[in-house]
Amino acid sequence: MELFTWETNMLIVGFLMILAGCYCMIRTYHMLKIIIGVEVAMKAVTMFLILAGRINGNMDLSQAFVVTVIVIEVIVAVVFAGVTIGLYKKYGNMDIRNLTQLKG
Amino acid sequence: MNVLKYAAETFLFVPFAAIVINNVFSKKMMEKCFHLLTGAVALSQIFATLFCIYSMDARGMSRFEFFMLEELYENDREFFCLTPVTLIFLLCIGIVAFVSVMVAKKTIDAKKTSYVNLLMTLIIGMNGMVMVNDFFSLYVFLDVVGLSSFVLIAMFRSRKSLEGSIKYIIISELATIFILTGLAFLFMQTGSLDYMDLNSSLLQNSSEPQTMLLSLSLILILSGFFVKAGAVPFHSWLPDAHQSADTSISILLSGIVIKIAGIYGIYVLTDLFSGVKAIQTALAAIGILSIVAGALLALCQSHFKRMIAYSSVSQMGYILLALSTGTTLGVVAAVAHVFSHALFKSTLFVNAAAIHEQAGTLEMDEMGGLEHRMPVTSFSSVIAFLSTAGIPPLTGFWSKLLIILALWTAGNPVLAGVALCASIFTSAYFLRMQKKVFFGKTPEHLASVREVSGSIKIIEIILTAITTLIGILFPLVLIFLQSRGIL
Repeated sequence: MELFTWETNMLIVGFLMILAGCYCMIRTYHMLKIIIGVEVAMKAVTMFLILAGRINGNMDLSQAFVVTVIVIEVIVAVVFAGVTIGLYKKYGNMDIRNLTQLKG
Repeated sequence: MNVLKYAAETFLFVPFAAIVINNVFSKKMMEKCFHLLTGAVALSQIFATLFCIYSMDARGMSRFEFFMLEELYENDREFFCLTPVTLIFLLCIGIVAFVSVMVAKKTIDAKKTSYVNLLMTLIIGMNGMVMVNDFFSLYVFLDVVGLSSFVLIAMFRSRKSLEGSIKYIIISELATIFILTGLAFLFMQTGSLDYMDLNSSLLQNSSEPQTMLLSLSLILILSGFFVKAGAVPFHSWLPDAHQSADTSISILLSGIVIKIAGIYGIYVLTDLFSGVKAIQTALAAIGILSIVAGALLALCQSHFKRMIAYSSVSQMGYILLALSTGTTLGVVAAVAHVFSHALFKSTLFVNAAAIHEQAGTLEMDEMGGLEHRMPVTSFSSVIAFLSTAGIPPLTGFWSKLLIILALWTAGNPVLAGVALCASIFTSAYFLRMQKKVFFGKTPEHLASVREVSGSIKIIEIILTAITTLIGILFPLVLIFLQSRGIL
């Protein structure tokens, strides 16, 4: 059995993309960059769904899933950006270290 | 059969019709009667649920499956399904939405039409989530619930609410990424995400997951739902989000959203993979951790709503512990605790709204001696606190008793003992709250505080009456369970 088939390659790339997205969310202090991190990780998940459809041969179901996930992803990005703009209007910059109102 | 089908369809069509009505008529008119519209939707949900329970019991059905728009489907799989567990969740949604509307009538001054739109979207999301028949639709409705609650928290655009909302968004999106990755791996193995297909595939019969991919997918889905439920290692967003939102929205979030988004997902997972021992161990461990850590963190809070939010974390632990038994009695106990938690947690948040309206503050250090100034609020908070701590004739006592019985009969006497002892912490933080807020001397700036009037007072009385009445009548439920052979 060959080790690096098309499927395992996709799996490895997907995991790397999720790790990159999470690293981006943890490491940066800029809110827009956090949105980009979330979106990168969501793209990896979309790729996993396509891969799953190819492996089990149920490609039409996986197509329906992928289209739905893409729509949801856009709405998440819009809501996230809306809250970010609200914070930008209050504080004047997009640094996440400003958010120290809630403690205890 | 037809009437039952129409009643079941109202769960999604009535909130949708309310959104249409709200946006078709003029804004000025809708702002005047927004509480009538939303209250009618909540009441119709409560009555439709009661009718469904009655007619399903009369016909002896334990599940009822139905389509929504029959012409669109060609396969023979039903898309929605009602079970007794689902119906209790739907009843809780109706009650908590009604309480939220009664409070919103007093507390929300601006953006009433947006509140109606978002509340109706939230109700559609929660109703759909408990009724659907496959895992991917559950994920879609889960995101509807999540997105509408993000906007509800951030709706008034103060610094605090935006901050609470963005914390919730970041952690919750991480959770949905986890859940979706887990679903993709599950889909990779089975070729379908329908509950029936997952149930009948090979996965269920063995006590251990066969492949590494399956264990990975179970871990990912479970941790995603733990984040949504606010169990302890993943709880950091919960107090922030619930404290910073408007009180009428905190009622929804703490009373029902964490239970639908988190606990219902975990219930589905334990139902499908009831043979897997590792899930039950994980639930028991997280449950115990949530109970103890949530109660200890609640002890050292100074903000009224923040303390109640940490109390929610602690109570979620009890529900997880009940689900960890994997028996029918465990599921009954979990659902009973979901119901009683919806009652007493919304009572406590209504008290928070009353105090915020009259005294203008929610910091516990600035309050004191409100017992004689606000007798109704004080009395209903005492009843809610006794119900949370599990004092006999009230609802909370019976659900906690069922949880401990379920743990004991499942062969976990140690966990039952810990759950029993942790109730002492519950009494401790609520006694501290009572002492600081309602007992003692009244500070000068609160000398002119009067009892709250109008809808908040009415809903406090109604909730207290329901908690007491169901507590007194609960032996009937026990007799019913015994007749079905569960107890």
